[in-house]
Amino acid sequence: MSDAQQRIRNFCVIAHVDHGKTTLSDRLLELTGTVAAREMHPLMLDSMPLEREKGITIKARAVRMSWTYADEAYELNLIDTPGHVDFNYEVSRSLAACEGAVLLVDVSQGIEAQTLANAYLAVEQGLEIIPVINKVDLPNIDLELVREDLRSTLGFKDEEILLASGKTGLGVRAILDAVVTRVPPPRGDGAAPLRALIFDSHYDQYRGVVAHVRVVDGSVAVGDRTLLMATDKASELLELGIFAPDARPRDRLLTGEVGYLATGLKTVLDCRVGDTVTSADAPAREPLHGYRPAKPMVFAGIYPTRSDDHPALRDALEKLKLNDASLVYEPETSQALGFGFRCGFLGLLHMEIVQERLEREYDLDIIATAPSVEYQVLTTRGAEVPIDNPAMLPDPTTTAEVREPWMKVTIIVPSQHVGPVMELAQGKRATLVEMTYVDPTRAMLRYDMPLSEVIVDFYDQLKSRSQGYASLDYEMAGYRAADVVLLEVLVAGVPVDALSTIVHRERAAYAGRNLVTKLRGLIPRQQFDVPIQAAIGGKIVSRETVKALRKNVLAKCYGGDITRKRKLLEKQKAGKKRMKMVGQVEIPQEAFLAVLRADEDAP
Amino acid sequence: MRGISLYVHLPFCAARCPYCDFATAPASSALRARYLGALATEIAREGAALGRPRLRTIFVGGGTPSLLDPPEVARLDAALRAGFAHRPRPREVTVEANPATLDRARLEAWRELGVTRLSLGAQSLSARGLRALGRTHQPEDVPAAVEAARSLGLRVAIDLIFGWPGQSVGEWREDLDTAVALGPDHLSCYPLELELEPEASIANWPGAGWKGLERWRRTAAACQPDDRGLAVLYAVAQRYLARAGYRHYEISNWAREGSICLHNSTYWRNGPWLGVGAGAHSHLGGVRSCRPVSLARYIGDIERDAPRIVDQGADETVDAAILALRLDTGIDLARFALRRGADARERVARALGATGVVGLVRWSGDRVTLTPRGRILASEVFVQLIP
Repeated sequence: MSDAQQRIRNFCVIAHVDHGKTTLSDRLLELTGTVAAREMHPLMLDSMPLEREKGITIKARAVRMSWTYADEAYELNLIDTPGHVDFNYEVSRSLAACEGAVLLVDVSQGIEAQTLANAYLAVEQGLEIIPVINKVDLPNIDLELVREDLRSTLGFKDEEILLASGKTGLGVRAILDAVVTRVPPPRGDGAAPLRALIFDSHYDQYRGVVAHVRVVDGSVAVGDRTLLMATDKASELLELGIFAPDARPRDRLLTGEVGYLATGLKTVLDCRVGDTVTSADAPAREPLHGYRPAKPMVFAGIYPTRSDDHPALRDALEKLKLNDASLVYEPETSQALGFGFRCGFLGLLHMEIVQERLEREYDLDIIATAPSVEYQVLTTRGAEVPIDNPAMLPDPTTTAEVREPWMKVTIIVPSQHVGPVMELAQGKRATLVEMTYVDPTRAMLRYDMPLSEVIVDFYDQLKSRSQGYASLDYEMAGYRAADVVLLEVLVAGVPVDALSTIVHRERAAYAGRNLVTKLRGLIPRQQFDVPIQAAIGGKIVSRETVKALRKNVLAKCYGGDITRKRKLLEKQKAGKKRMKMVGQVEIPQEAFLAVLRADEDAP
Repeated sequence: MRGISLYVHLPFCAARCPYCDFATAPASSALRARYLGALATEIAREGAALGRPRLRTIFVGGGTPSLLDPPEVARLDAALRAGFAHRPRPREVTVEANPATLDRARLEAWRELGVTRLSLGAQSLSARGLRALGRTHQPEDVPAAVEAARSLGLRVAIDLIFGWPGQSVGEWREDLDTAVALGPDHLSCYPLELELEPEASIANWPGAGWKGLERWRRTAAACQPDDRGLAVLYAVAQRYLARAGYRHYEISNWAREGSICLHNSTYWRNGPWLGVGAGAHSHLGGVRSCRPVSLARYIGDIERDAPRIVDQGADETVDAAILALRLDTGIDLARFALRRGADARERVARALGATGVVGLVRWSGDRVTLTPRGRILASEVFVQLIP
């Protein structure tokens, strides 16, 4: 191993949302002089506006820092990891690029389900874990309880646990020292053919697709011809370099180093997270293991509210996809909503982000249908058909069996909230697999549960029933048979396919009544009576009417003040932009989402 | 020289009506004298800036202008005479009055100022209606006020509110009957609209918070006729007043032949006017602007010679179209195109051709007017015009 390689440390920070990862990262950058304190832009690592707003990190980035320990200079690469369960795979690839991880736990919150899941993942991948209890400057804290968490869940000894405060800077120096002393230098053969792991990629207008890589074996230089082993795409490197934290071009990246490669490729689809970069001229024999293409879990139709916007929506999705390999979409036609796209997402947060970007960055008025999972339908003829749009569920007479995806769900919750959480899970068709305690005050529940139940505000309810303390992690467990039927909705006598939903047979009539009641409250009054009906197998099971609008006038135009009136009209107009004309009726976005909660009690 | 219209705002009221959203202030306000001083300053300054134009119409609104003392009216009169050309005389000078605040001396003072028309805020002519609306005057004050105005040769306009809590169709009919029997030249009928945003209604009422008002409004809204009920009351007014010989010339306004309100017509025809006083709006040179609602801020602005607040969101095409559609004469697209260009005509024509307005507008050649149903659903038409 070269001397330079001996002095490299690649690490990441594992933490729950709000546990102070970003603030601590800022402190690390500051103390290592990577960014002078006065240049510090709060929350430096989050470079997308949406990330900053939601307080979460969507795309991983890496920053190189230098740190002197015992008179030796070390190169520290901090690899950022996404903080949401939707991006689990990206997390695993970020971990694969590291030899160590700082496990950051908020002293007032304790370890959370997802943090634990990521920590286990890190342990499995052989990373050295440095446990850090953060926010120790807060008053009234119980350090012992958090230590017990770390002892019982991950087997740490008290003397291994560091204390820190990202806010005051306390303990940050000790963390950097621990990274040098505890995290091993990267292994890897400098003489072997190039193998670099892509742990993130993004599209850059000037450089094409930029791959964030960790060089595992060999080295790579500007002008090299490279090959991506999974997608089989070759390109010539125009530029490579490191982030510190802005892009700094270099001539080459050596074994163990972390940096970026400007591949010149046109879409991130060709440059997948988890893929291996090798030399096109002297390729490695085998790729690094662990690659899998992103698989969407949640599907929804996205339609423009005005049909003229269809080409603009297609362009916007194309552009988003340049930078988001996990977004999939294909054209779809709805009788009710016209031309749109069926889109697949990693999860609900991912869906929400895409929706917001379409609206905000591309200025589109869109309607998203209720998210659905992908069912597998076995036909009587023995074929297996994937169904990601409820309206497409085949006729029961041609169906032998319908299967739905199930998840392994892990919940960590303070013991006093276990009852309400179990009650919630039971209502969601979940089966309890195991219950253990992470410390004397907190239980860990493992469930098997249908994904369709997880996506129906399970997380929000979990939070509310545990006063915000429960945390959640889940992963795919496979498909199981489901006894389901198609619940259809007619608005003003017209079937609205986008309001169709797949529900459990025994809950179907109840769900129909609830949905119709909810829709009555959500569909604004039109200039005529609008009947809303629910039907199962062509039979109407419930009906309500939205009464006609009789008066809508701003009668006073006093003192010539039209300003206030115009504002009210503008508000009304803005509401209309979030609605879709279906036949003669305007249906708002919320109505399509109400379908999700069809079988829950109407308010 | 066609002249401009002038709106003068006098915010002071003996009591605050719980449904009112205009810029009002207590009659006992410590700022009253300073306000009237600032008003005189603004009149002088704006008159000079506009080159002392002739005034076509004046409208003194409020608040309750009629509670001003005669010396205060005289001071306003002097400011107006100094600030603007008074030959030829304005064609119409209206002052708003609370039926209970009129006495001979006050009326004389207003006549001195040149008032030709009295707009009476009757709101209802039944004790039950006045109580439901939280008004302080009595039903019998209204005929007395009409009588007094007539004796001075003034035209009379009466304002009514329908849809107050508990009002039946029969009671509305009675209000209309009683009002028509008084023979007013002009009638305004407004549905009771209960905004749940405080804005102007509390800015100048220290100690009288939004909480009490909000409670009143929520309770009132809960026992108000629903929108179908309001639509019925409106239809009753349309039919009944037409039979009584009144022309329904604007969404909320009816007049005997030759008695439409010229001042308000300036607004609806998108004409030029200057508004002075707290919360007053102006439309001059195609720009809409206003003064702050708070008396303290208004006085401060005038003393610092600050400009009016410009309405950045104004869109002359949209505003002109919406205002014109409020009138029974509607909008003449050929003339609209001549004045504002073919693009503006296109925009308006497209909006008025939308499927959402079928049955709400009537086309005859290039002229578009609201149908009777379109009037009570006017916002459904107007919203189409918003870009």
